[in-house]
Amino acid sequence: MSDVVESPSAPRSGVIGDSPARKEDDRLLRGEGRFADDVTPANALHMAVVRSPFPRARIEAIDISAALEMDGVHDVLVGTDVAARSEPINVLRPTPGAPYVTYYALAQGRVEYEGQPVASVAATSRHIAEDAAELIEVDYDPVEHVPDVIAAMEPDAPVLHPDVLDSNLLVSNPQSVGDSASAIAAADTVVSGRFFVNRVSGLPMETRGIVAEWRPGGRELSVRLSTQTPHLVRSQLAHCLRLDESWIHVVAADVGGAFGLKLGVYPEDLLACLHAMALRRPVKWIEDRLEFFRATTHAREAVHDFRIAADREGRIAAMEDVYATDLGAYYGSFGSAQLSSVTYSGPYRLDHGTVERRVTMTSKTPVGAYRGYGQPEVNFAREVLLDRLARRLEMSPVELRRRNMLTPEELPWRNTTGAVYDSGDYAECLLAAVDRIGYDELRRTGHGPRADGRYVGVGLSSFVERTGYASSRFLAGRGSKFGAHESVTVRANRSGGIDLYTGVSTFGQGSETAFAQVLSHVLGIAYDRVHVHAGDTSATPLNTGAFASRTMIAAAGALEKAAADLRAKTLKVGAWLLEVDDPDELEIAGTVVRVASDPARSVALRDVHEEAILGLRLPEGIEPGLEATAYHEPTHAAFAYGTAAALVSVDAETGDFDVERFVMVHDSGTPVNPQLIDGQIRGGLAQGLGAALREELRYDPETGQLLNGTMLDYFVPTACDMPPIELVHTEVASPVTPFGVRGVGETGTIPAGAAIANGICDALSGLGVEISRLPLTPELVWREIQRARGVPA
Amino acid sequence: MSDEVPITVTVNGTVHRASVDARTHAADFLRHTLHMTGTHVGCEQGVCGMCTVLLDGDAVKSCLLLAPQLDGHEIETVESLADGDGLNALQEAFRDAHALQCGFCTPGFLMTTTALARDGRRRSREEIREELSGVLCRCTGYENIVTAVERHLSEARGV
Ligand code: FES
Ligand code: FES
Repeated sequence: MSDVVESPSAPRSGVIGDSPARKEDDRLLRGEGRFADDVTPANALHMAVVRSPFPRARIEAIDISAALEMDGVHDVLVGTDVAARSEPINVLRPTPGAPYVTYYALAQGRVEYEGQPVASVAATSRHIAEDAAELIEVDYDPVEHVPDVIAAMEPDAPVLHPDVLDSNLLVSNPQSVGDSASAIAAADTVVSGRFFVNRVSGLPMETRGIVAEWRPGGRELSVRLSTQTPHLVRSQLAHCLRLDESWIHVVAADVGGAFGLKLGVYPEDLLACLHAMALRRPVKWIEDRLEFFRATTHAREAVHDFRIAADREGRIAAMEDVYATDLGAYYGSFGSAQLSSVTYSGPYRLDHGTVERRVTMTSKTPVGAYRGYGQPEVNFAREVLLDRLARRLEMSPVELRRRNMLTPEELPWRNTTGAVYDSGDYAECLLAAVDRIGYDELRRTGHGPRADGRYVGVGLSSFVERTGYASSRFLAGRGSKFGAHESVTVRANRSGGIDLYTGVSTFGQGSETAFAQVLSHVLGIAYDRVHVHAGDTSATPLNTGAFASRTMIAAAGALEKAAADLRAKTLKVGAWLLEVDDPDELEIAGTVVRVASDPARSVALRDVHEEAILGLRLPEGIEPGLEATAYHEPTHAAFAYGTAAALVSVDAETGDFDVERFVMVHDSGTPVNPQLIDGQIRGGLAQGLGAALREELRYDPETGQLLNGTMLDYFVPTACDMPPIELVHTEVASPVTPFGVRGVGETGTIPAGAAIANGICDALSGLGVEISRLPLTPELVWREIQRARGVPA
Repeated sequence: MSDEVPITVTVNGTVHRASVDARTHAADFLRHTLHMTGTHVGCEQGVCGMCTVLLDGDAVKSCLLLAPQLDGHEIETVESLADGDGLNALQEAFRDAHALQCGFCTPGFLMTTTALARDGRRRSREEIREELSGVLCRCTGYENIVTAVERHLSEARGV
């Protein structure tokens, strides 16, 4: 290993703004990732779960005798065992004012969704466990179920949780500023619509999985889990299993995609631990894909009643959005989306506004967090309705948006829910999208039909996205069981490198890479001398985890502080070794500490680290050890923003349509790593486009059963299904975050549905087609064409 | 109740003799008997492509094969690609193009592309998309994967 002495003026690679080779890639490219199913302890047993085939039923009896007699079966759990030995899942992100409608790991005398765990088996192989599960006889007495949020609120709907609730409305959270009712009454124009957002799955390619090992003598429950939040899971396991937290060790090694679905504990996690504790043997459970579709939280399903009032010039006077989110049968660790309210007014100026979230129970798989967490849903309703307003006013949708967009001078702006938009140039993104897609050109050439017989249109969709949490105090006010901060430990090693420890697990977002860049940037050490250790609760400082586009916002501050501490001490030791009086005259450059004004006078970091760690010769006044732990508490959320534009062509006879071009202009503040940012945006767009165009978990309203719960009939986009995407970045540093970063993980999911719906309506504006639901299928478009033509479809 | 079948299979050049439960699928055999966990499982229905390996040089979904069907055949998995400490050219192309995020799908794409590279045919970007459509990725949006494959295929053809 040679010590490269860089010239002070050479730009360093691997710092903020660069895109170095990802830390994660080498092992993943070799197939050496360590995913949940990649490790099987010797002596492990395997778990299978018996699940309800009914959306709602009383359990009259369970007969486990045949299963217990099977060779290789070691343990069977039913509801009463679980109630005796554990607590219901505790909610990490409750809804203000809502009673707990949470659940035990196994059903307690009744099932409330298809797929709810009823019993579990631990056996010597997965095959045997599954065979035994089939032998468990459950006597169900089906009772009336509730298929969706509209049915849930019918006056004669059965109340799903009569022990805690009077109706199926778990809670309603209204927020209002000004006097929207009067503003609407006085307005020149009012448009309103009911918008249906589809139930989808985030569908990471790796399903969930756990390996639990219990050593009572060692006071250790060791859990390998595919999770985004190892430290939060540790606290939940302690609570649910009635254990001291110090006994629990959670490791999330590589995670094969998460997207919000792997936040907090699930019933199966508790079951695997309970089996392991009863048997004192390791127990492994890897969710299969059929289970996944019923057992891992769903997302998005919502009905928005949106209303916008404006004057003749298109100035928005008021907005109202009353929406129901489908929570499903129970409140899991995170519950249904909460951010529709925060961003319902988008990037627009608004003085009078009302938003009301109605969290509604139904007889379906519990709904949890999914990338975007309410922001794609509300964006669809608002942006589609804005285009209707533009048509009503005979005004260009560009002009309508521009007129109402907050200007850079108006920021920071407190929106009508109290959220503060920090900074940005919203109109710059809008105009860049309009320019890139060739909007004016299309206006000139008209909607067609073109030579190929298709009609063409352009749809716009502008958005703001809350990234990160404003502060821990803000979360406390909402009953949250986690803080807004992040933490990091950095520790020098005797090879001259830095070990960086973080509780943020690795599921594709590139945090190992980005963290190393920030550390390298502040400390001055070479990027490839930073080694990141992630996701092990025994090795890393307590933290919250990677979700809500918060990682960089919160962690960059912790990295900055820890690096500054480490740097100060490194220079102090370096000054002693170089016999320089003032450590401030020194700098860390790559692999050496040197005199800034005289780079030839240097000492290898390896030597500095060794002296500091061993402490055998340190002068008085310098304590041994070279490490720092730091926490960062954000003071504000940062709002990312942007505008998408879709060029769509439509066959007006069949409803078949094509997204011919998709332009995404966005601002993520200071880019720590442009390549990772592009990757996040593209990946988010793929999910946003999937949910907009093809994905939907469909239930039979009669039987309440999932109709398409396999990969064969739930259509996620393939490489052939992606429209051509053009990315444009703008860069306004946020004044409220370390380095000016904004979150980027969820941005891509937000604008697709509205942009494409607006493009279709624009193409068919001659017919007066309106769209109000997702996904946007050719069949839906055909039906709307028929409706517009007055033909009964 | 298990029904054991003796098989002989060559995996990445090494001959393995094993006795397998007749209902074990090939992906599970590779992962849990031979401990080659680079081949992943995402659906066990032949849809996702996570389990793609080469069987006598052809890309196949190993969750759709039973382990006894491997008898007498030659299998290549992602573990065969890297060249000691170094990555091979295809792996490097994926790294350079940021064609992976969580990496769970990556072995499937790498093995599919390895088979494509061997026939030496010229393929347009659209054809590449079609060839890759048997493997799903939920993280990247595919663009960078297509780019990595396109670059690798043209380099492999020496253009
Ligand atoms: S696991 Fe084989 S195709 Fe999905
Ligand atoms: S990189 Fe995560 S599924 Fe492809």
